[in-house]
Amino acid sequence: MLIRSVILGALAGAFLCAGASAQQPRLLESRESLYNNIYVFSKPPEVGLTFGYNKKFYAESIFNTNDDRDLPVSYTRIMTVGLMYAREIHSILEIGSGGGRTSWYLHRFLPDVRVTTVELDPAVVEISRKYFGIKDEPNFFHEARDGRLFLSQSKDKYDIILLDAYRGPFVPFHLLTTEFYQIVKDHLAEGGVMVQNVETTTMLFDSAMKTIGTVFPQIEVYKLDDNAVTVAYGGAERTAEDLAAVAGERDKTYGLRYPLAGMLPDRKRVDLNDAQTIDAKAKVLTDDFAPVETLKAIERHNGKLP
Amino acid sequence: LTPFRSLAPTIYLIAFVAGGVLMGFEMLGSRYLFPYFGGGIGTWASLISTVLCALAIGYFAGSAIVDRRPSQRAIGAAILVAAFWLALVPATADTVMQDILDHIGDGPAATLSASTALLLVPLTLLGTFSPIAVSLLARSANEAGRVAGLVYGVSTIGNVAGTLLTTFILIPSIGSRNITYIFAAMLAVCAALLFVTPGRQPTGV
Repeated sequence: MLIRSVILGALAGAFLCAGASAQQPRLLESRESLYNNIYVFSKPPEVGLTFGYNKKFYAESIFNTNDDRDLPVSYTRIMTVGLMYAREIHSILEIGSGGGRTSWYLHRFLPDVRVTTVELDPAVVEISRKYFGIKDEPNFFHEARDGRLFLSQSKDKYDIILLDAYRGPFVPFHLLTTEFYQIVKDHLAEGGVMVQNVETTTMLFDSAMKTIGTVFPQIEVYKLDDNAVTVAYGGAERTAEDLAAVAGERDKTYGLRYPLAGMLPDRKRVDLNDAQTIDAKAKVLTDDFAPVETLKAIERHNGKLP
Repeated sequence: LTPFRSLAPTIYLIAFVAGGVLMGFEMLGSRYLFPYFGGGIGTWASLISTVLCALAIGYFAGSAIVDRRPSQRAIGAAILVAAFWLALVPATADTVMQDILDHIGDGPAATLSASTALLLVPLTLLGTFSPIAVSLLARSANEAGRVAGLVYGVSTIGNVAGTLLTTFILIPSIGSRNITYIFAAMLAVCAALLFVTPGRQPTGV
């Protein structure tokens, strides 16, 4: 999980999005793993996970130790929108667990649904168990694997697949290509939905939308600061009324803390052919051609989002 | 121009180009492997160790060839085979990577097998170039050290150029498959140059 706020050098900034208390965060643990420089901060009642990258800290996850069902990071609440799209909900997969809080929220409110969360870095998995309240429970599965590798070898189908894998500021290129999205689609159950956290300020957004569009006919975004939660699915476009009906019903069934109905007003459809929103020159990313670092360095000209 | 003088620039040019292709192809290796085996440090370790193994084998093989019959044709042929290997990679890599993933999984054994399948043969062949080139250019034992220093220096500058150009210019602008074809073509041109450039007389000094 990644909050896009980049905090230059300041450890204190690790909790930018958390409470307004002036109390200084305390470093609980720092660890150099195979993939990350991991820092865990405590600022009661919250614990934060950040990765150091280029002398900047990227906050990945925040856990409210007083409230197991809280999602302090706002975009992670929106990551749950998939719940109103999926035809049925038996099984959910998240790629890029970080502290694992989004998956845990889903697990808490939907205890009968199989929730699987996959994280590349075994040290992050360990830390999420040590500090972020993640534990083994029936219907909750936590794996340390590369997300694409996991999915391409999985024989299971999922009703909702959440994508939130970042390394520092970048999405690994092999998780942003047509081939990857095809693997995602192949692992969606009938009526399933893909939900992805995509940053919106650079040209990578335009390319990501076009790439998703090669596999999924329907793309919608829920915009939030510099992040957008993207929803992609097959079949015909869902109407607002239809979604509102499902949202109302599932809000009630599951007793969701962050009601789906409250997210609907932020819903916008992405029209890939509208040059006003998606740069006509944006290229589709493939395993063969995916210059994610370069695209990330170009600011978007189209400030306007759908 | 004596035959020797006309050969030297060709050899240095090829040392540079082959050095560039060698490292450029290692960088491309990551683009071939990551989609199947993930983008971790383990994949990089496999790629780097495979390249270094290939070079070691190539150097040993090159020195064995120097003992027997070092010739422009021999290194020309080695580079040409490497060119063919690279030309086959774009069309076959996905099948090979998928097979390895299906049969070996994704641990160190798999990433090493994958980088071996991709890199070992062509880079070993390219590795034979430097020792043979030194023996073709050096007319005396005294000169061998000076020539070896130049050949390895030029080739290493080629390595640097290949790494940087591939990473910062080629991968962001054209696809990995096309870059592989370009590398194959560059090697084929190098091989052709070796075949057509007049060599040193075996009797000379």
